[in-house]
Amino acid sequence: MNIDLNFIGIIIAAVMASSVPLILAATGELIVERSGVLNLGVEGMIIIGAISGFAFMMSTESIVIAIFGAMFAGIIISLIFGFLTQTLLTLHVPTGLALTIFGIGVSAMLGKNFVGLPGKEIPVFFENLDKITFIGPILFGHSIIFYFAFVFPFFVYYFLKKTKMGLIVRAVGDSHHVATDQGINVILVRYLCIMFGGAMSGLAGAYLSLVYTPQWIENMSSGRGWIALALVVFATWNPLKVLVGALLFGSISILQLHMQAAGVRIPVQFLSALPYLLTILVLVVISRDDRKIKLNTPNSLGKTFYKEN
Amino acid sequence: METSLKISNISKAYPDCLANDNINLELKSGKIYALLGENGAGKSTLVKILFGIIQPDKGKIFLNNQILKLNSPRDAKKNKISMVFQHFSLFETLSVLENLILDSSEPKKSLENKIQDIINKYNFNIDLYTPVLNLSAGQKQKVEIIRCLIKNPDVLIMDEPTSVLTEQETKELFISLKKFSKEGILIIYITHKLKEVITLCDEVAVMRKGKLISISKVSNEKIESLANKMIGQNLKIVRKKRLEEKSNDQLIKIVNLNYKSANPFEVNIKDINFEVNRGECLGIAGISGNGQSELFQMLSGEITSENNSIVFDNRPIGKLNPQERRKYLIAFSPEDRLTHASIPQMKIFENVALNNFKSSDFFKGGLINEKKIKDHSQRILTKFSVNTENVELKTQFLSGGNLQKLLIGRELITSPNLLICFNPTWGLDVGAIHYIHETLIKINDQNKSIILISTDTEELFMLSDKICAINKGRISKVFKTTDVSTEKLGLLMGGQFD
Repeated sequence: MNIDLNFIGIIIAAVMASSVPLILAATGELIVERSGVLNLGVEGMIIIGAISGFAFMMSTESIVIAIFGAMFAGIIISLIFGFLTQTLLTLHVPTGLALTIFGIGVSAMLGKNFVGLPGKEIPVFFENLDKITFIGPILFGHSIIFYFAFVFPFFVYYFLKKTKMGLIVRAVGDSHHVATDQGINVILVRYLCIMFGGAMSGLAGAYLSLVYTPQWIENMSSGRGWIALALVVFATWNPLKVLVGALLFGSISILQLHMQAAGVRIPVQFLSALPYLLTILVLVVISRDDRKIKLNTPNSLGKTFYKEN
Repeated sequence: METSLKISNISKAYPDCLANDNINLELKSGKIYALLGENGAGKSTLVKILFGIIQPDKGKIFLNNQILKLNSPRDAKKNKISMVFQHFSLFETLSVLENLILDSSEPKKSLENKIQDIINKYNFNIDLYTPVLNLSAGQKQKVEIIRCLIKNPDVLIMDEPTSVLTEQETKELFISLKKFSKEGILIIYITHKLKEVITLCDEVAVMRKGKLISISKVSNEKIESLANKMIGQNLKIVRKKRLEEKSNDQLIKIVNLNYKSANPFEVNIKDINFEVNRGECLGIAGISGNGQSELFQMLSGEITSENNSIVFDNRPIGKLNPQERRKYLIAFSPEDRLTHASIPQMKIFENVALNNFKSSDFFKGGLINEKKIKDHSQRILTKFSVNTENVELKTQFLSGGNLQKLLIGRELITSPNLLICFNPTWGLDVGAIHYIHETLIKINDQNKSIILISTDTEELFMLSDKICAINKGRISKVFKTTDVSTEKLGLLMGGQFD
């Protein structure tokens, strides 16, 4: 049989493209969780990012404004979460859930007038190089968000391991009481992390509505926020494993689509469930080291921080 | 350069007590000062004022004759005052180096050199790249001390530093502290352990009920004289009447007890065998973390084992859970009073009921018989002289001593045949320790038995009839306590069983 390298290249590119929003949202949430905050509102922040990005694009026709607008919207909605959990000391889990419900509702309302509108063309890089066999479609002809997503986890890895700011984030996630004793402003650090997570979820949403399927569809994040949350946990808070997990999820999703199309005699429901099952399975296997899990898990994750007087 | 610290007319009142009542003290570098007192005497309040955590109502502090304004620990650090807290203030999942870097603004490289110098100079055996959670208590304390030393402190405050250390670690700590003192650091050493004052300190200030009772040279003092000052009355020394002839009435027998844990942070229990007769106290010595907690859990039924591996009164009970074992009149007193033995957010009577939640006396038809439980709790409070009459009080507001009296009382009120206790006097003040020891001796006098797992060798020698040591989940031969010397026991604890 003749293997069509170009076809394989296109499939790989499709896999990568489908994992971009997962990488962005999960890596952003990873920073949030490393600081000890559990924000279950990722799905809501993504969908808000998606509608904002699309709305800004339609009204300004500037990709730059659209992208930053989406990130800004993500930050604003994450600040609601931050204010509630850090200043008013509400519990993280219900607040995050409420944020998701809120985000889905608000986005549907804001998006009323955008339903069915065709999206705008987005500039891509090295467009003419994508004719090169195999590596062409993989490496070239993608949007700026695409390239950013694949550098970003390495960036975050370096940040957490090698910089003092990263160390402070980990310290705050380890024990907010000790951090306070050491003169670290726990609440400020957590606010910043929450905002960062919001920005990244917003960017993930922008990718969906501007690049991946350039239009506004209600509820278009379709559970990606939840998968991102699961990725963070099963990747044991390691950004590089998040990258692996996101790619894996993407590839199995694409693969099972092709299997469905090829008429493989496996129930469709099972095929659709495959990406979830296998991703979790693989991540659990590659993270099977009790010592490492214990070292990477933020001790104060999800705990409300009551400052002693 | 010489450092002098003067505390002048310091007072601090809390709603229910006067924690510091007009305290005056003058301290000079080159000496180690002991601040001695029972829990609640006000010594912690005083040092917290010195470290800027608490602001006094009245009074002034002078450092080198300059008035000192301390609004926060940051001010204290700026003035080269450092403190090592009783409870470690470290990030468990970060490495030693990361913990130390966080507190300093120096560039990483030069700081690392400085830390390495300190480690070499004082012979600290610490790997900078291990995560803190893998360190022993003694090593963690060294990390805290290094964190202070990086700042070249003039004053070093140590708050009950030996409460979590083994004897060996304590010795090492004392050597270091003496070195620091020679180098001109003024050391304030807070403790309620009299022996430590005698072996380590030059001068001793005794506090009682918020007042400074005396300041004197340690060379002029004896353990008895300090004890009398500290508790305000003559210290009674408990002594156990040891039975001359061995009783042969076997109560509990442990046969080839084994446990393999899936958790890498736990210790495996290997082939444990011993027996305890009626009226006897068996002491199990050991350095903490050698399987005591696992052994306790197996004896109490939190971890079950093969049915025949624990035989109580000729009945195999290895498979029974704690509640079922209690029916056989076995009682338990776990080490951790706040997380294991009680629920601090619940009231006294609720904690009493929880221990006995199958009792048809307390619960009928799924309803709580509050009146009965409260009466029962009241009896415990009176009989075991817990310093409150309010059964509605949440247990988190009880002092360590009172909580332990309540917990032991809760167990003993059913007059069990066997009490298994694990570090029953850990972190308690002299009065409470004395009380608990007397209580334990009384149990033996009533021909009931005790298994005493403890890291306090003094306590073991005082209370047990037979003694053995646990090391890495194995247990040594059981000796008559009178046949074992402190040195011998030390070797056993170190794992030299033959």
